[in-house]
Amino acid sequence: MFSLLVLVPFLILVAVNLSKKVAPNVACSLTALATLAQAGFVVSLPGTLLKTNNVIFTWLPDFKLAIDEFSIVVLAAIGIVAFVACCVARSTINDPGQRATFMNLLLVALIGMNTTVMLRDIFSIYLFVETIAIISFVLISIDRGRLALEGAFKYLMLSAFATILMLSSIALMLLFSPTLELSGLAEAMSVYPNPILIKLSIGLFLCGLFIKSGLFPFHWWLPDAYSAAHSAASVLLAGIITKVVGVYVLMRLSLSIFGESLHIQAMVMAVGALSIITGAVLAMTQKNFKRMLAYSSISQVGYIILATGVGTPFAFAAAAFHFFNHATFKSLLFVNAASVEKRLGTMDMREMGGLSNRMPATGITSLVGFLSTAGLPPFSGFWSKFMIVLALWAAGKYFYAAFALLASILTLGYMLILQRNVFFGKLKDGLGGVKEVGPGLVIPQLVLAAIIVLVGVCFPFVLNKFIFPVQSIFLK
Amino acid sequence: MSILILPIFIPLVAAVLILATRGKPRGLKEALTLVATAATLAISVQLFGKEISFILPWIGHGIDLSLRLDRFSGFIVLFASLFAFLTALYSVVSMRGKDHPKQFYFYLLIILVCTNAAVLANNLIFMLFFWEGILLAIFGMIAIGNKNAFKTATKAFIIVGISDLCMMGGLAITGYLASTLTISQIHLELTPLASIAFVLLMIGAIAKGGSMPFHSWIPSAATDAPLPFMALMPAALEKLLGIYFLSRITLEMFKLSAGSWISITMMTIGAATIILAVMMALVQKEYKRLLSYHAISQVGYMILGIGTCVPAGIIGGIFHMVNNALYKSCLFFTAGSVEKQAGTTDLERLGGLWKQMPITFACFVITALSISGVPPFNGFFSKELIYDGALERGKIFYLAALIGSFFTAASFLKLGHAAFCGKASQENRRVKEAPLGMLVPMAVIAFLCILFGVYNQLPIEKFIQPILGHARLEGHNFSGFPANAWLTLTTIVVLIAALIHHLIAAKAAGSGLKASEHIHHAPVLGTIYQAAERKWFDPYEVGMKVVHIASLLLMAIDRIIDWLYDGFLAGTAFLASRALALLQTGNYVVYIVWSLVSAAVALAFMVK
Repeated sequence: MFSLLVLVPFLILVAVNLSKKVAPNVACSLTALATLAQAGFVVSLPGTLLKTNNVIFTWLPDFKLAIDEFSIVVLAAIGIVAFVACCVARSTINDPGQRATFMNLLLVALIGMNTTVMLRDIFSIYLFVETIAIISFVLISIDRGRLALEGAFKYLMLSAFATILMLSSIALMLLFSPTLELSGLAEAMSVYPNPILIKLSIGLFLCGLFIKSGLFPFHWWLPDAYSAAHSAASVLLAGIITKVVGVYVLMRLSLSIFGESLHIQAMVMAVGALSIITGAVLAMTQKNFKRMLAYSSISQVGYIILATGVGTPFAFAAAAFHFFNHATFKSLLFVNAASVEKRLGTMDMREMGGLSNRMPATGITSLVGFLSTAGLPPFSGFWSKFMIVLALWAAGKYFYAAFALLASILTLGYMLILQRNVFFGKLKDGLGGVKEVGPGLVIPQLVLAAIIVLVGVCFPFVLNKFIFPVQSIFLK
Repeated sequence: MSILILPIFIPLVAAVLILATRGKPRGLKEALTLVATAATLAISVQLFGKEISFILPWIGHGIDLSLRLDRFSGFIVLFASLFAFLTALYSVVSMRGKDHPKQFYFYLLIILVCTNAAVLANNLIFMLFFWEGILLAIFGMIAIGNKNAFKTATKAFIIVGISDLCMMGGLAITGYLASTLTISQIHLELTPLASIAFVLLMIGAIAKGGSMPFHSWIPSAATDAPLPFMALMPAALEKLLGIYFLSRITLEMFKLSAGSWISITMMTIGAATIILAVMMALVQKEYKRLLSYHAISQVGYMILGIGTCVPAGIIGGIFHMVNNALYKSCLFFTAGSVEKQAGTTDLERLGGLWKQMPITFACFVITALSISGVPPFNGFFSKELIYDGALERGKIFYLAALIGSFFTAASFLKLGHAAFCGKASQENRRVKEAPLGMLVPMAVIAFLCILFGVYNQLPIEKFIQPILGHARLEGHNFSGFPANAWLTLTTIVVLIAALIHHLIAAKAAGSGLKASEHIHHAPVLGTIYQAAERKWFDPYEVGMKVVHIASLLLMAIDRIIDWLYDGFLAGTAFLASRALALLQTGNYVVYIVWSLVSAAVALAFMVK
């Protein structure tokens, strides 16, 4: 049944490319429908999905598609962010040809992400991660501007480096394991006598994933890529793509392969904590709206990684929750940035100020995104950060718990700087003619803000229905 | 429902109605106040002499709406209502054209409500509730005065508030020790803990009475608050209430013996208050301020009298409370008349008013003679009783009271001389007598002063001796002319000495006002006076200085912490941000090298 998640986008992709006459707007609408359907489907019928049998190909023994509680959360996030990116593309990409290209890329990326979430063997995961990476290069450079090309090139170079690391890791794994299927791999690791080799193989793969997730000190490509990409591309990229190819894969591996090793846990947590602090500190002095959001992204991903490193079921559930929340609020902030860029034509915050007066919907939704990012109740971000701190404390990581709590003050700091420079206060001279953006951008903003508020307000429901079940993966 | 709630309920309803009035019709507020106070007075006359108690369940846990009328509380309610009525009558004229009449009449009635309720209350918590209500009314009443009034109101609020907090603590301990909150059931032995409770309650009571060291707001209020307030509160109702409660705890709630240290403490406070306040009064050059220091000084006599713990002293103390309330409010009324008619109460600018204001002058003379303790006015008899009690306990206390008498007489000679005698200045020639509405209250009180003196059997036998009961009186009757002729003779000698002193000093100085200057500038006293005028002895001002220094210190600490957050932490964060941003060179070769190095470090960390 969940093969539909792959098949539907694939069919749309084929259909819109059959004839050149199909207008890009049709493609856009179809994609939007498909993504909305995906989000609605996984959220409303998680039970049905979980009961469905795995898809197994007899001729390719390792390759199989499976779904679990964690996948549900990620699939919902993919659906929501892809829908939003679709809406943003429709109102911000003016050239029909470019828009058609973007839709095609989005559909391929959607197929890739949905498949990645359901895969259970490390080599296929690697393959799909690379596929999505290639799409990302094109997505970033879709504008064909100099900066966009530079950003794409940097991503390409560092991604290539990550590829080398991951491929060598897989080669090492094949030395001690007959299979690359995750549970088989874990079994082989537990009996193999040479721990150095195992640790080396895992470490290499992890470093590759660190680059893909944009964690400090592997983040070098990320600010350029996010800020230079087209608005719609940056929503998709920052909102979900890097999260799936980097963070999701890392979390998936932590579940089955390295969850038990204390050294690896310590290293992952250290990288997470380092990302939290440096991302936040770097965000404070940025002058470019999207660049500041990019550094904020590094910091927030740090929280997810920090919680993943703890290795307890509760911490993992907290990380999955923050994964979803981060996807929604960071997309919202990038859509806000897209709205501002559409009206002002610039992302330089020194030229902004008091925009809430002229763009009320953008201003208010950005406030929701800001409060959720900063972790203020009753917004969704508060609950996930709170759970992360609780999980760290419960696992005895008192230092990291205090650290996560204090670092959220830094988050509040840079988000306040952002709000003050862009939305609060008196309208800057010369911005008198600015108007609110059209419904094409206001609707996704409102949808995301509503999700953030609803998840925050209906937290007990969300917790019991989606987040706590994630813990059950550990029992299997 | 009992008739007992009427003295509380009538003014309360009137107060609420006053709040609801708009500007028209004119005179409605005044009429309401007069009717309500008159009705309260009529009912308290009816109530006097009866013994009724009344209980309504209120909060539970021993906290009930419990009222008790006996000889003592009936007597206090009677006089409180009388003073409220006379003040209301006086205010109708004196407050005409002043700001905030609505608030003034509202507070006046609320003060009456709270006083009656606190006096009638037979439950400690219930009493406390209204006792604190008076604090709020005092604050509001002072605050509607002149432009300095808000500061003075704050001063009064803090001083009285602190003493009320002490009382609250005392009530808590008392309730704990007696395991009941019903006042009439409390009879505590003076164990150490009970002594603490007593001292705390005593602080609340004597502070309400205006004794030192809780006095310093009264002289400030004298110049800043509306004048009828001074006549009503510090002169009359506060004394009634404070001394009432002091007597209650001394006579009823605690078993106090004459030899106890608490008795000595009370007498010492009383004696010190008499002397210090009267010395301050002597050198004042402002009519109302001079009176306000006497309001403080006189409470010393009452505390001294009750503190003696012997029947003569207690009777004298309570009698003095009534007498003081009478003549002191009348004296404030004369000050108000002078202020209204002559436009000032500055003694330098007054003089020779006796021709223009004969009735005011007559009332002033009667009440001044009363307060100085000249026979046969009422003040003489109560002071003689206090002397009698003080002499029984120790010559030093008697001596202090006698010295107080001397200076009281001297300062009133000076006041009368400066304000009413001497030469009238040009501007004072056209001053007219005060209107009838102001003269009537003064005349009534002046008459009562004479009546309570000449026919002192009325107050002593009817009002005061029943409070103590036959057992405590041991068959004595303290009414009539003092039995001890030597005491009377001494008093008269002292009074004559004061007169001679005034005549000589006034002649030497050239005017009545300067008759006290040789004391003001005497070698040692002059230095002390200077310090007092700089408010070195005012606990409130000293406390405020300490608070100010402490707040400056805390401010400095706050600045440092503020800098730590705003300057240091933010600065460090921004510096770190800039430094880290330097790594972002834009050169992808450098990026790859960094990633390689990071990966190597991570692997090394893992594999080690």
